[in-house]
Amino acid sequence: MIRYISKRVAQLIPLLVIVSIVVFLVLRLGQGDPAMTYLRLSGIPPTDQALATAREELGLNSSLPVQYIRWATKAIHLDFGKSYVTGNPVFPEIIYYMPNTLKLAAFSLALTLAVSLPLGMWAALNRDRLPDHSTRFLAFTGVSMPGFWLAYLLIWLFSIKLKWLPSMGLGGPAHMIMPAISMSLMSICINIRLIRGSVLENLHARWGLYGRLRGLPEKIVIGKHVLVNSLIPIVTAVGMHIGELFGGAVVAETIFSWPGVGRYAVSAIYNRDYPVMQCFILMMTVIFVVMNLAIDILYAWLDPRIRLEGGQS
Amino acid sequence: MRRSRLLISLAVALSAIVLSTAVWAQESSKKTRVVYSWPSYAGPLLPHMYSPSQMYAQRMVYDPLVEYEEDGSYSPALATSWDISPDGKVYTFRLREGVEFSDGTPFDAEAVVMNFDAIKANEKRHKWMDLVTQIDGWESVDEHTFRLTLKNAYYPALAELSLIRPFRFLSPSAFPDDGDTSKSIKAPIGTGPWMLVESKKGEYDLFKANPHSWRGKQDVDEIMVKVISDPTARALAFETGEIDLIYGASTGQIDMETFNRYRSMDGIVTGLSGPLEGRNIAMNSGRFPTDDPSVRQAILHGVDRKAIVKHVFLGMEYPAETLFAKNRPYCDLNLKPYVYDPKLSAKILDKAGWEKNDDSPFRKKDGAPLTLDFCFIGTNALQKASAEAIQGDLRKIGIDVRLVAEEADSYYKRQKSGEFGMIFSSTWGAPYDPQSYCSSMRIPSHADYQAQSGLKMKEKLDRSISEVLITVDEKERADLYRYILTTLHEEAIYMPLSFSTAIKVYRECNLSDIPFRPTPYDIPFERISLPKNGI
Repeated sequence: MIRYISKRVAQLIPLLVIVSIVVFLVLRLGQGDPAMTYLRLSGIPPTDQALATAREELGLNSSLPVQYIRWATKAIHLDFGKSYVTGNPVFPEIIYYMPNTLKLAAFSLALTLAVSLPLGMWAALNRDRLPDHSTRFLAFTGVSMPGFWLAYLLIWLFSIKLKWLPSMGLGGPAHMIMPAISMSLMSICINIRLIRGSVLENLHARWGLYGRLRGLPEKIVIGKHVLVNSLIPIVTAVGMHIGELFGGAVVAETIFSWPGVGRYAVSAIYNRDYPVMQCFILMMTVIFVVMNLAIDILYAWLDPRIRLEGGQS
Repeated sequence: MRRSRLLISLAVALSAIVLSTAVWAQESSKKTRVVYSWPSYAGPLLPHMYSPSQMYAQRMVYDPLVEYEEDGSYSPALATSWDISPDGKVYTFRLREGVEFSDGTPFDAEAVVMNFDAIKANEKRHKWMDLVTQIDGWESVDEHTFRLTLKNAYYPALAELSLIRPFRFLSPSAFPDDGDTSKSIKAPIGTGPWMLVESKKGEYDLFKANPHSWRGKQDVDEIMVKVISDPTARALAFETGEIDLIYGASTGQIDMETFNRYRSMDGIVTGLSGPLEGRNIAMNSGRFPTDDPSVRQAILHGVDRKAIVKHVFLGMEYPAETLFAKNRPYCDLNLKPYVYDPKLSAKILDKAGWEKNDDSPFRKKDGAPLTLDFCFIGTNALQKASAEAIQGDLRKIGIDVRLVAEEADSYYKRQKSGEFGMIFSSTWGAPYDPQSYCSSMRIPSHADYQAQSGLKMKEKLDRSISEVLITVDEKERADLYRYILTTLHEEAIYMPLSFSTAIKVYRECNLSDIPFRPTPYDIPFERISLPKNGI
């Protein structure tokens, strides 16, 4: 297992280097001029002298490889430069907003699992009956609904019409309900179908049959054998949902004025605040990759065949 | 059975959350606190610096010597009166007595000197305003008299002293040990009507009424400013009662359709300010084909600008006929407007030799087509819609307008380099117009400089601008402005489009009124009046 983990971790390094180069180049080779952006956001008239000084200050006079190496060296030490808008170091600012995003993402993930697991099983155990049809309808409508549209519908219903839930800001659990629903609905719907399929497959698997032949009660067969085996593909899906949740947070945090990293990133994109954009994209990549790794490890732990194959290969 | 029990438990938990939020909604309705919103948090509130300190908040906490009024006059603030020497170089301010900073530190001439020291020490950063470079000396004459000496008779001195930054005053007790207020301060302590008491980055800033304020008692005890970056989210927060007031630039706080919807809703009060900044389109006199004055004049007569204001700006801005609004000093010159008259445009172009053949909808002269680039920021919906309307109008008179939609940096680069036929531009509003805006026309980093670069009288124009800023003779100043603004108008360098406005929206059960100030960042929260029966 340790060998498997070390190998997977080692594979991450070249991946992160490639991502960092792509992120750096995409932002640098785009239409914008960081020096011009810096002056505009600082409210300094862009005279030739001011532009030259800004280029010097921002280290834009060197060649691209030199600029990249300088930036990457600092980035390894978690120094992503200063925001053009706030003038504050970027990394501590992202860390400041990160707990709020994590809180929302965790709540959304919990909601995804809490809703999709029972509904998926309910649909599978009632195959081709009303529960199955109704969850299929829910799943179909849910995946077709854009998150931002759902967010506005929720606000209209629960905040404006019914006045039950706050439409914005940070606060108690009530503040999290609507952002979390708008972020997780798509994952919920995908999961319901996935769990349904997985449970159906395992219901008729050999271990289910063997259990029944041994005379085990149906509850034990379903709860112990079918459920545990059905969970394996869900683990992989959860890894992807975490990435989706961070993507969804960018929209939900803006609509619900939730002070998280997503909203911070949107305002950086709007302002073309390069240092923030670079740090945000890279951090999201790291989170995504690390989550996938964690899921793979969990998967290998749940199913020994995988780690054996992984170790041999 | 177990499943139904699980469902029941879930339902109970959800009901509990819903009930708790209903209680939350009731609690949030307690008032003497007015809740406003802004796209970012107030920032470190350095009194003499710029972004990320927000102007609306700097204005709440720090006071100026004088305040600019809508009609172009100045009213007393921390200075009760002032004398200007006959040569226009020495300003003597008598300071208001008995004023204290919000921490109780007395406000006196020494405090003013200390703040001027800090501003001048960071002169490089303030060079965009001429006053900073014109200052020759500053001193405390006595406890309540401050004297400012200029190198030249720079007449807009009072206007620039009234700005939200940098000429505002921090308590000596809040100065950093090294005196450099450009980096940090100990605390945001001013004489302004409000004190910043709590700030949660990304969430809110809470201001409380300054008990030491020389302005006296005000209706509202607290202003809570919530951070809402999205205009739609702001409108929703207003509708759910989470904010009480929407106030600011007409194109920033909420979208125009939403404002118009509120206009027709019962119980909601809406208001539109007078004209603020002038939106215009600069035409490049240094580049083909707009280097031909006939083309520029034909364009001005060929665009139905009133229709753009009505349909694109939904009537929320004022149609403009001149670069500056007539309510700006020295700008009411009775200049003959360029009225919408496509036939006249065609006639002007015919006369200038721009011929139209049947095989092309566009005119040509000496084989060169009448084609020009119109540059705008692609993500700016108003610019895009206006540009498309202008393109359509000009096509009818045989001018081919190529729309160049770009991201902001490239757009500003074009303004600076002059790589445009037409480009959006905007004046700065009060109290900068006309003097500071005209002053900037001399600097090559602005679209105005490039647009005027082909004029044969560009040098004379620049010289006149330099003179108008330092002349002490009122008649000479008015004459110089007449020359500058008339020349720019007659040479058809700008296509004035509209004058922007500020909006206000509130529920009449929450607020009675809040007046407009001459700029959208100058929000007079202390002048909010509440309904008599309370809220």
